[in-house]
Amino acid sequence: MAKGLSPMVSGGAVGLLPLFTTLFLAIVMLLPIGSGVANVTMPHLVLISVFYWLSSRPLLMPYGACAGVGFVLDLWLGVPLGLNMVLLLSARLFVLTQLKHYKGRNKLVQWAVFAVMALGLYALSWAMMSVVNARIWPIKPLALQWLVTAFSYAPVAFFLGRLRRWAM
Amino acid sequence: MVSAGIFLFLEAFGPGIPSQIRAVANDVVAPVLYVLERPVRAVQAGLERLAGAGDIYLENQNLRARNERLRQWRDAALQLGRENDRLRQILKVPKREVPLAATAHVIGVGGGTFERSILVDAGSSDNVRRGFPVMDESGLLGRVIQVGRWSSRVLLVTDLNSRIPVRIERSGALAIAEGQNERFLRLRFLPRDTDVQVGDRIVTSGHGGAFPPNVLVARVSEVEADYIYLEPAGFLGTLDYVRIMAYRAVPDESDVLLSDKEAKPGG
Repeated sequence: MAKGLSPMVSGGAVGLLPLFTTLFLAIVMLLPIGSGVANVTMPHLVLISVFYWLSSRPLLMPYGACAGVGFVLDLWLGVPLGLNMVLLLSARLFVLTQLKHYKGRNKLVQWAVFAVMALGLYALSWAMMSVVNARIWPIKPLALQWLVTAFSYAPVAFFLGRLRRWAM
Repeated sequence: MVSAGIFLFLEAFGPGIPSQIRAVANDVVAPVLYVLERPVRAVQAGLERLAGAGDIYLENQNLRARNERLRQWRDAALQLGRENDRLRQILKVPKREVPLAATAHVIGVGGGTFERSILVDAGSSDNVRRGFPVMDESGLLGRVIQVGRWSSRVLLVTDLNSRIPVRIERSGALAIAEGQNERFLRLRFLPRDTDVQVGDRIVTSGHGGAFPPNVLVARVSEVEADYIYLEPAGFLGTLDYVRIMAYRAVPDESDVLLSDKEAKPGG
């Protein structure tokens, strides 16, 4: 590893895999899949990817990468700038402080930890949207997307795990 | 985290990020979405074809009956259209058709759970401007809120920030159709004791100048004492191609600023 360089950069293509995978999933989130424009049924794939990579290779998903992905996602989704940045940075903060409690435990525990973290982050995003728009934001669509995201964690994490084993 | 906080603060209390930056970001991702969206559509169409294979005979029977009814409607509509044109000519009433700016393909959806918007593959190079209404064959879908060179973002009628001046076609009563970030719209500011029935057609009133008058927006789906819900007329769940109409009763803010500057060179 080159001295002073972040593991993400010094690792070459493999080091950038988490970032590129997350960006690819951000683009997938924009595709008109399923119910089309409602898009509530589209899970927050970026949040799943960030949580997965932070739990398995935290050094390859530094604060800068989380902020950058969040910034781009805010621009692409057309939501208030800073919203996904705060969510992804909070996710990193959460994982780094809690990883010692669930690292090495079975996958069901990781899934439950993700569901709890996502619930907290969706509550935070609800509060931020209500403040930014100066009105109480509807809870039902958020609750529905949290459920979809929480249930989608297992299959998405499975594919990311296969990819990690194949590439790293 | 501090930068994110500053961005959010600016969105809430300041000018926010210029829409041009968002438009450029959309232009960058548009070609990727254009490529990825095709196999997605193909797979969806294939699945729908597989799922519908068993019902083909029944569907065929229904379509034949519907075709016969539509043929009768078409003859009546053509006759009325000719009569209307003749009367307009006699009375010297100007035509009200809104010209088409572009037909665009839906390449992406935005907002996640926070907003209801779509990305289309037509931008300023296709004469699309901010504020232009967007429709499909069934009715109004929304309006253009960001315009890039090759892509635009359309805010849908179901978005929480969408408010459309409307009238009930049957009674003529004026109201506002508000988005709820859900499947249904809500009819608000309706005069008391107005007669509203399930199935009533809700059309644009043309007030405010954002939308041309008499465009179908929704149909009344539920009437209760405290609220009236509307089902959007546009096929919001299966959008493919949309029509962007070149309608602008009120000039765009940027155009006004531009013409002011042109009027005062050097001043």
